[in-house]
Amino acid sequence: MKDFAYVCPATLGDAIAAMKGDGARALAGGTDLIPQMREGRRQIACVVDLKRIPELTGITAGADGSLVLGAAASASHVAQNAVVAGAYPAVAQSARLIGSLQVQNRASLGGNICNAAPSADAVPALICHQASVRIAGPAGQREEALEDFIRAPGKTNLAPGELLVSIVLPPVAPRSAAAYLRFTPRREMDIAVAGAAAWICLDAGGRVAAARVVLASVGPTPMRAASAERQLLGERPSRALFASAGRLAAGDARPISDTRGSADYRRSLTAVLTARALADCCAATPIQQALA
Amino acid sequence: MDSEKNGALQSIGKRLPRVDARERVSGGAVYPADLKLPGMVHGKMLRSPHAHARIRRIDTTRAEALPGVLAVVTAADFPELPIGASIPMGETGYDMWMVAQTNMARGKVFWVGQPVAAVAAVDVHIAEAALALIEVDYQPLPAVIDLAAAMAAGAPVLHEHVFTKGVEPRPRSPSNICSRTVIARGDASAALMTAPATAGITVAIDTAHQGYLEPQAVVAQVDANGFLTVWASTQGQFTAELMIGRMLGLPLSQLKVIPLEVGGAFGGKIVIHGEAVAARLAQKCGRPVRIVLTREEVLQGGSGPPAAALIDIAVGADPDGRLTAIRASYHLDAGGLPGLGTSLVMQASAALYQCPNLDLQGFDVVTNKPRTEAYRAPGGIQAAFAMEQAMDALSQRLGMDPLEFRKCNAAVTGGLMPIGTPFPSIGLTTILDRVGAHPCWTDPLPQGRCPRGRGLAIGYWRGTSMTSAGHITIAGDGRPMVTMGAVDISGVRSTMAQVVAEEFGLPLDDIHVQTGDSKSVGYTDAAAGSRVARTSTAALVEASRDALGQLRTRAAEKLQCPPDQIDYAQGRFRARERAGAAISLAELMQATLTDGAVVGRGVSAKLPLGVEIGAHVCDVEVDTDTGLVTVLRYTAFQDVGRALNPIAVEGQMSGSVVQGIGWALMEGFDYGPDGRLRNASLLDYRMPTALDVPPIECVIIETPVPGVPYGVRGVGEVPIVPPAAAVANAIARAIGIRIRQMPMTPERVLRALRA
Amino acid sequence: MKMPVTCTVNGEAHTVLADTRDTLLDLLRERIGLTGSKEGCGNGNCGTCTVLVDGAAVNACLMLALEAPGRDIVTIEGLAPRGKLHPIQQALVEHGGTQCGFCTPGIVLSAKALLDGNPNPTTHDVRHAIAGNICRCTGYDKIVDAIMAAAATLQAGGR
Repeated sequence: MKDFAYVCPATLGDAIAAMKGDGARALAGGTDLIPQMREGRRQIACVVDLKRIPELTGITAGADGSLVLGAAASASHVAQNAVVAGAYPAVAQSARLIGSLQVQNRASLGGNICNAAPSADAVPALICHQASVRIAGPAGQREEALEDFIRAPGKTNLAPGELLVSIVLPPVAPRSAAAYLRFTPRREMDIAVAGAAAWICLDAGGRVAAARVVLASVGPTPMRAASAERQLLGERPSRALFASAGRLAAGDARPISDTRGSADYRRSLTAVLTARALADCCAATPIQQALA
Repeated sequence: MDSEKNGALQSIGKRLPRVDARERVSGGAVYPADLKLPGMVHGKMLRSPHAHARIRRIDTTRAEALPGVLAVVTAADFPELPIGASIPMGETGYDMWMVAQTNMARGKVFWVGQPVAAVAAVDVHIAEAALALIEVDYQPLPAVIDLAAAMAAGAPVLHEHVFTKGVEPRPRSPSNICSRTVIARGDASAALMTAPATAGITVAIDTAHQGYLEPQAVVAQVDANGFLTVWASTQGQFTAELMIGRMLGLPLSQLKVIPLEVGGAFGGKIVIHGEAVAARLAQKCGRPVRIVLTREEVLQGGSGPPAAALIDIAVGADPDGRLTAIRASYHLDAGGLPGLGTSLVMQASAALYQCPNLDLQGFDVVTNKPRTEAYRAPGGIQAAFAMEQAMDALSQRLGMDPLEFRKCNAAVTGGLMPIGTPFPSIGLTTILDRVGAHPCWTDPLPQGRCPRGRGLAIGYWRGTSMTSAGHITIAGDGRPMVTMGAVDISGVRSTMAQVVAEEFGLPLDDIHVQTGDSKSVGYTDAAAGSRVARTSTAALVEASRDALGQLRTRAAEKLQCPPDQIDYAQGRFRARERAGAAISLAELMQATLTDGAVVGRGVSAKLPLGVEIGAHVCDVEVDTDTGLVTVLRYTAFQDVGRALNPIAVEGQMSGSVVQGIGWALMEGFDYGPDGRLRNASLLDYRMPTALDVPPIECVIIETPVPGVPYGVRGVGEVPIVPPAAAVANAIARAIGIRIRQMPMTPERVLRALRA
Repeated sequence: MKMPVTCTVNGEAHTVLADTRDTLLDLLRERIGLTGSKEGCGNGNCGTCTVLVDGAAVNACLMLALEAPGRDIVTIEGLAPRGKLHPIQQALVEHGGTQCGFCTPGIVLSAKALLDGNPNPTTHDVRHAIAGNICRCTGYDKIVDAIMAAAATLQAGGR
């Protein structure tokens, strides 16, 4: 492992200044970065530890009912937060799937996003909720949709010197629910062979007014299953509908074969997980109440 | 005195905590990676990136010149051993030419990860940087990664000196098939052709890994006189010493091996992996050298995994369910150097069945993957995965309950084993009766949303005896202090404390037990082959009696009466004829301390075997949408002869079962076409977590072994033999389909469902 | 590059010379000399390096030594001051919950983190709490039994 410098700034401004120059990399939980450095997969000249910066670690309510998650807050911290657990349970559920408990106590959603692995567990549910990311850099602050933020494995829209500061969850729509399910051969400490997040929102008549299905580990980045979503619109929730949406999601998926699973198997799983995630949405209180 | 005492046993058979548990739970147990000696430096190995290649040249100049590098070694730093060189071990010795190649390739590499050079440097970062400066000129050769490729006509041959043994006439060309072994009686093929009921299966088993949590680690130090001390995580300090001495060309009086705590071994730490290299580096640089393998090194060629296999079984029975034929072929993947052979495995898989016609053929085949080593009953779980599925399928064909089928054909004491010798005392039918009466068999299988099934499998392992030694010194306070030769990998410090406490009639806390190093205790073979508790018991019973004999003589003198009128019980010698004339061990030692030591010695060599038999029952649920298999319930029955300590026995059983479930469902090496392991990390080499397995119920049955003190059998190996088959049979009952690949991953199960 | 690091481990301040590339595990084992935490895999997939940082169970191999200052770090050595075993440790001894011992320090600390937050766990809670700690020897049953027994002891006021 090559040697590196380490700084731990107390303010966002100092952090941005530290991110200038080649080879600077942000450190939050370190659960991806440190193994990558030790295995020689990343050459880092300067590690910028973000954990002293309040905007990056706190979880705060926005004035408009949104929720702002500091990008470096630990997955455990996010999952245990009462508002996350109550209003965005799929996000809490996703945070509880990353690695093991020990990993969740350090790993951050921001790191999960910026590491940009196709299997990133935190991302699908966040995209379902139309999360946006707030970015700060030398040119100032900006915000963009998380859905557009991840470009390719290991690559996001962060320009050199920019930092992911926080993840913004819009206020929860009435008559909506989300769920994230993934498939792993072990029950814990595993990486998704395939994952599916679903979000549905019903109209006053109990039909699907809006739907989002986001797939993990079946494409270079987390991806929307557009055909599945179109299938759901205007329909009443039912087991058959979800099965059909699942099959369409499997068609939308673009998986590869690797040591964790073949492309065919990933497609099969996509169909099953999508249907089950949709069923879980349906079982959630807001949807049950809307159907009653 | 008889080995079976009258009256209740005081210590033996009791559920007692380990005597060495406190240091384990408080961070005080010392493993080699914990050692820090003054001036110690760090060693790292350079490993081959090629699965098969000639080494044309190695240039270490640039590495040696790097500041902070203190020594570099290659094969040139070790004496060249002739093919067939061996060290003593048991009946057959152990091939030392192979051990040397495994630790430092010479001329050729046979697997990705095989060591080709090593450095010692002041810190690990410099050592790593130095590895990158070693220039190795490889001539890559075509490689064969799997059994089929290795056996195909025209396959590149790994070893020019290997001609298939066991084939007549002797082949003229070398081959990757190192040996063919046949165990046969009667005419199995003819019997199969006419058998009213037949079944069969062909299975493919992936390489797995013993999965010990502690990577190999060693510290080696040479003193001013050239004497070498090695602190090792090893199953056998004497075996390690023989291997290190032979590899270095060092006379045995010039070195010793001190065994420290072992963080799991399961057969994978009998062969040295880095010890001799650390020693050579220490000789060259004059500083103590520590080598600790990374997990990636352990998995990617730095250790010896158990063998992959292709096994084909055909079985036949008459309409009453009596077996008439077993015909089987076993192809075991030895990895890059010839393996342990197939005889034990074949015998084990058929041993528990009475069957007049047998045709078992075993082939040991080399491939360009790490040389395979033992993993508890080596080959046992693989063979059972095939045989027990075939037997289960046959019982289904007959419409017979699988337990009744096993009972109908069960081997009995005195019956013929596959190699033709009579079975020593065994209790298979007792075990099967216990299974039939147990709720795990009689409870109806609870229904769930997904298909469920119940599977039965039985397993056998012969084990071995070899040699164990120990001595007992009586301390000045009269308490026995035991030095045993056996390395403790199964809790044997504790069980031997119980044995000696029993022999002396003393409280357990009065007994101190330690393992000696290779120069401070009598020669003892490696802790392996289910031999340690049984043979150490015999050795320490002898040592106890020897010590008590010496003490009796002293007591007789003090009590002024002939030794044959002295009685001993529970720490006191009494003159039989004179009431009140008695002396305690403490008093006796205090009174005779300056007369010299009391040291009792004992050795056990070639003790009668205590063969191991187990039967397991497993309930599973199969998610037919994803292929995920959940083990709902698991019960393991085993005949242990006598349980010295039931907690220890249960621990061996449940640990082995979970290992077996791991290989059954989720553990397997994924080699790429270049021979590189694609899942060389514990993320993708999946061992079961606490959430992946149910509680394992252990049922201990005791059929003592005659001629062995306390009737103790081996315990630690057979429990890994049935699990994969038990799970496979349960899956077959759940979904009506047999899975022919191990591990039975969710993807493979789903593919079988959809086929 | 070597640099001095000051941190608090088991309530004691330590100032040592660390390498910038050291993980917290390297710092504990090689620089401070607390070898109870083990390295089994180096990338957070076995749990043998589990320590408590500010009360939470973390893999010490996934933290930099340079992140240690200011944190309250507890290792296995900090649990039994002056030799009196913590109920979790005592229970593992009594129930046969340790064999080779390599996973044990990590298991003890994961169990402690569980019981600190959830004094009355179910066996599922226990298995979940130690799911990030692989044990290869025991098959987990006796570990679970021990942690449940320790929970009962602590609930009954035992120390």
